[in-house]
Amino acid sequence: MEAALAQRLVSGLKQAGIDLVAYLPETRLSQILPLLRGDPTFTLVPVASESEAVTIGAGAALTGKQVAIYIECTGLYVSCYTLVSIARRYGVPLLLIVGYLGSMADQRNNTVYAVSGSYVEPLLHAIDIPFQVLESGEQLERRIADAVRQMHALKLPVALLFTGEFSE
Amino acid sequence: MIRYDCLKLLAPRITNHLVVTSLSGQKIEWANLSQHPGNLLIGTMGTALGVGIGLAVGLPHRKVIVLESDGSMLLSLFNLPTLANLDPENLKVFVFDNQVYSGTRISEPTATAGKTDLARMARGAGIEHAVTVASLTEFRAEMETAVQESGLKFVVCKIEESVGHRAILRTDLDPLENKYQFVRYLERTEGRAIFRGRG
Repeated sequence: MEAALAQRLVSGLKQAGIDLVAYLPETRLSQILPLLRGDPTFTLVPVASESEAVTIGAGAALTGKQVAIYIECTGLYVSCYTLVSIARRYGVPLLLIVGYLGSMADQRNNTVYAVSGSYVEPLLHAIDIPFQVLESGEQLERRIADAVRQMHALKLPVALLFTGEFSE
Repeated sequence: MIRYDCLKLLAPRITNHLVVTSLSGQKIEWANLSQHPGNLLIGTMGTALGVGIGLAVGLPHRKVIVLESDGSMLLSLFNLPTLANLDPENLKVFVFDNQVYSGTRISEPTATAGKTDLARMARGAGIEHAVTVASLTEFRAEMETAVQESGLKFVVCKIEESVGHRAILRTDLDPLENKYQFVRYLERTEGRAIFRGRG
């Protein structure tokens, strides 16, 4: 991902009011981490499992934090249980920032990733998490703001899946 | 020592603390002993400690008490290094370790019935104050400092399996109702709005 795109992604999160990011780093969007760390607006919570990114994020959201969870798409499989049993069951707004490796537009896709990416969208449909796939920086800030507005309106997790230009 | 006796000691000591429960018998017993609006009665395995960590990070000036169990803790061991490195001084964790998956109703043993020591695992993860208590006297001492003083605590409470909760009427508090009760309590006591998206 180009540095300018990483900066716009982080600026978009900030403009949308996100102030806490629980994360397990991955490869496609990792350039956002130094930028998040360099901005005191954001409280960063590094985790050992995507499953606890959801529980910790949910607890923080119930205190009024505006929470994003930054993970690789394979982490959706890991966190499926807590997304359902905590985030959906209690109705907690969370923005899922997902590196969508293994998707068709993933510029680094190969035989290692493709299968992992294949079930992401069916999974999100199955557990009723609204999502959008972003392949370019077109209207990036607006699409982040739209997702944050939607998560607050629904009081549920909403996912943004980043691929295409974001995976270059 | 049984869990209900420990919880009976804890309940009257709750003032503006936030309390997160784990599942099953523990949730039923705590809901029976305390109707405090700062209770979050989670009731699923492997999730209470994570939620408690999030509350503690979000409200560093409020004491958060997490009531966990051995089976639930074993399902979310990844919480231990995360907790150790965040080191929230307002978080107090009590793991009620009866060494069985009591919900199976056949007392199927957990790993702590064998070689596994959760307090040692917590210390290995980097949590400095991780201890085991096995009597009400020891529990009371840890609990009193936990509710009053700062510093991360991880207290494994070795208890006998008890089934008294099966005679207690379960709370009819719906999870969504519990969430709103909890959040509105925080809004009142913190003096600010929490949820956005008003109609």
